[in-house]
Amino acid sequence: MSRAAMQGTYLAEGSGPRAWLLTTDHKRVAWLYLISLTAFFFLGGAMAVLMRIELATPAGDLVSDDTYNRLFSLHGIIMVWFFLVPSIPATLGNFLLPLMIGARDLAFPRLNLASWYVFIFGSLFALFAVVAGGVDTGWTFYTPLSTLYANGWVSTAAFGVFIVGFSTIMTGINFIVTVHTLRAPGLTWFRLPIFVWTLYATSLVMVLATPVLAASLILIVLERVFGIGIFNPDLGGDPLLFQHLFWFYSHPAVYIMILPGMGVVSEVLPCFSRRPLFGYKAVAISSMAIAVFGFLVWGHHMFVSGQSAYAGVVFSFLSFCVAIPSAIKVFNWSLTLRKGEISFETPMLYALFFLALFTFGGLAGLFLASLAVDVHVHDTYFVIAHFHYIMVGGMVTAYMAGLHFWWPKMTGRMYSETAGRIAATVTFVGFNLTFFPQFVVGFDGMPRRYHTYPPEFQFWNVLSSAGAVVLAIGYLMPLFYLGWSLFRGTHATDNPWNATGLEWQTSSPPPPHNFETMPVVTRPAYAYDMKGLEHERFSPHREEAAR
Amino acid sequence: MSGTESIAFDTPQRERRADTFAMWVFIGSEAMLFGAIFLVFLVAHIDFGPAFAAASKHLSLPLGTFNTAVLITSSFTMALAHRAALQRRWRATVRALAATVSLGVCFLIVKGIEYGNEIHEGLAPLLGLPFRYAGPDPVHAEFFFGLYFMMTSLHALHLIGGIVVIAGMIALWRTASPANRLRRVVAVGLYWHFVDIVWVFMFPVLYLINR
Amino acid sequence: MSELRKLTFGYLGLLALLALTVASSFVDLGGFNVALNLAIAAAKAVLIALLFMHLTGTLPRLAVAAAGLWLIILFGLTVIGR
Repeated sequence: MSRAAMQGTYLAEGSGPRAWLLTTDHKRVAWLYLISLTAFFFLGGAMAVLMRIELATPAGDLVSDDTYNRLFSLHGIIMVWFFLVPSIPATLGNFLLPLMIGARDLAFPRLNLASWYVFIFGSLFALFAVVAGGVDTGWTFYTPLSTLYANGWVSTAAFGVFIVGFSTIMTGINFIVTVHTLRAPGLTWFRLPIFVWTLYATSLVMVLATPVLAASLILIVLERVFGIGIFNPDLGGDPLLFQHLFWFYSHPAVYIMILPGMGVVSEVLPCFSRRPLFGYKAVAISSMAIAVFGFLVWGHHMFVSGQSAYAGVVFSFLSFCVAIPSAIKVFNWSLTLRKGEISFETPMLYALFFLALFTFGGLAGLFLASLAVDVHVHDTYFVIAHFHYIMVGGMVTAYMAGLHFWWPKMTGRMYSETAGRIAATVTFVGFNLTFFPQFVVGFDGMPRRYHTYPPEFQFWNVLSSAGAVVLAIGYLMPLFYLGWSLFRGTHATDNPWNATGLEWQTSSPPPPHNFETMPVVTRPAYAYDMKGLEHERFSPHREEAAR
Repeated sequence: MSGTESIAFDTPQRERRADTFAMWVFIGSEAMLFGAIFLVFLVAHIDFGPAFAAASKHLSLPLGTFNTAVLITSSFTMALAHRAALQRRWRATVRALAATVSLGVCFLIVKGIEYGNEIHEGLAPLLGLPFRYAGPDPVHAEFFFGLYFMMTSLHALHLIGGIVVIAGMIALWRTASPANRLRRVVAVGLYWHFVDIVWVFMFPVLYLINR
Repeated sequence: MSELRKLTFGYLGLLALLALTVASSFVDLGGFNVALNLAIAAAKAVLIALLFMHLTGTLPRLAVAAAGLWLIILFGLTVIGR
């Protein structure tokens, strides 16, 4: 039965390790990434849980201070570069971009596969650094700590991140060229799904910012290995220059991470409220605006680093400006829901949680963009809470929304809707329990990156640690019910959510070259209000009737 | 499929257009890498102008100028290869490619001689080699030479990459279809010219500080 | 043959600019040497891009323009930040 249903799909094209490891099919490469990124997500998550257990008591009793430094450094390095940056683009993006624009594959299928191997090669360096003894510089590798004082495996870890950068650039080039050259007939720029727009914007940032990170990391390695004093003031170097180069990449990298998440939510919200996306053009253009403006604000990480006061004012002003395109998106998403026929399927739950958490985290960002307030909360848990609301509450939640939304397309199977809704809710509760208390202790002055703290902070820390356990359960649940659905899930129809978009017009799972006949596009995206698309209310558990 | 390398394209023309665009995007990315490196040098130059000017005089201007001419010539032969490939004159293409590779190797040899001289004179502050410098402000002169070795070796690495790719292309020449030959010449040509442009900026920035 | 002629003129022009930049470095222009050197380097880059690299078409120009804009951001904001 299951064999017969998979007949003629990309999953039927050979099943041995060779067929997967040497594939150039973008849909299979997406799976390679999905599996490796899931492993990194749980590795980084395990480190976070260890830290939260340590912080349940004020004394440093579970791990030593040195171990704690290594835990938060590796948690950051793994989560940022080995999960968040590639997460949506390399998995969902890889799988969906050609499907959404009606192409047979990405422009350079072999480059796509090569990017995964480069990713794995780079990640081996990082894993070696973990096993060999770790890194204690924090994920930011600040000089002169990383060049003169740190005694961990800094060069190894930095080199691993450097190599993974190549994989990012390969993906970025591939996506940009694909969007420009392989759109189906009739698919004009302003008919593209927002997910494609955000992948394009994110690729732009990847291609232009990652080389600067590569430069700054390789300069650290050169300074440590060859003794060139690039960031060493004794030898003429400038330690602050490292922060400029690092944040020139790493602030836009925040948008590399969040933009595809915004794209996912822009797909899910219209589908489950049966309304076209409100203000489509504004959402599309604001994605590009975020990509560009994101490059103008890196100095807000350096308000207390000794950059000139004049620069501080400029960067503060620009940081407020970057909130505008994000706010445009939030308002448009909210207005999409207005008068919609909203139903709360699992992807929709995740998307709504994204909307709440992203808005909350983004507003906290305005505090941090204010010069005077930032001096007070800089390097406290307030900052930690802020960027976890964006990165975990925003980005990871959107990733889960997308994974559940397109799971039927990727696997041809439906997961348990009940389990999905429970997991989404547990995640939301656990997340807020973990990170909201951190806003409070941060504002009260608890600094980040210490394994002990004064006893008066314990109440909030216990809440946060308890939340981390709930959050971990919320993230572990999908591993089981999604895994279960692969073998026991009911078969999905081609378009279980009655969604618009080219990816839903091919079979689930799609055939090897995506479409039996090349599609021609005649409608705008999200035409949920157009005549002829007013399907009966969908029921995801509808048994596949005619295949 | 009709002579395309990627199944995504229906015609070789569209694929070539995508190839060219991809190379330009890649070059834009590389420009950011070298931009960051040049920025590091610029910041140091602003801080220690006189020391850098004095140290720059210890580099060999004749060898540097000669090498610039060599690299410009290699770009010219690469452009000839491109032109010959467009006209499907394959023997001329291979000859021009071979000339390009030889000029690239020539550049590396001269660069190696320069490195050898500088190490011999004690101007290479790397890996604990002794640094002997008679001029003013030796600390920042040492910094200049550190940056000089960092920048030129990064450039040399890119050149070596280009040489390896062209050599590989020549080795696989017989097995490649005409469409693929043209695509590869165009792509590697763009890369080669870009590496030349990087040197065009590196040469005055390093060698010609207020002589 | 006009294509070949264009390439040859470009090549000779590049060599002439090289000679000019080296010669100018022996004349003290009171602080303008660096600016002149960079201007000549930029002129050489433009020659190479237009003649040897055939910088035509919207898409390649888009890539170059983006890289140029981003380099300006990188240099500009770093220098004011110091």
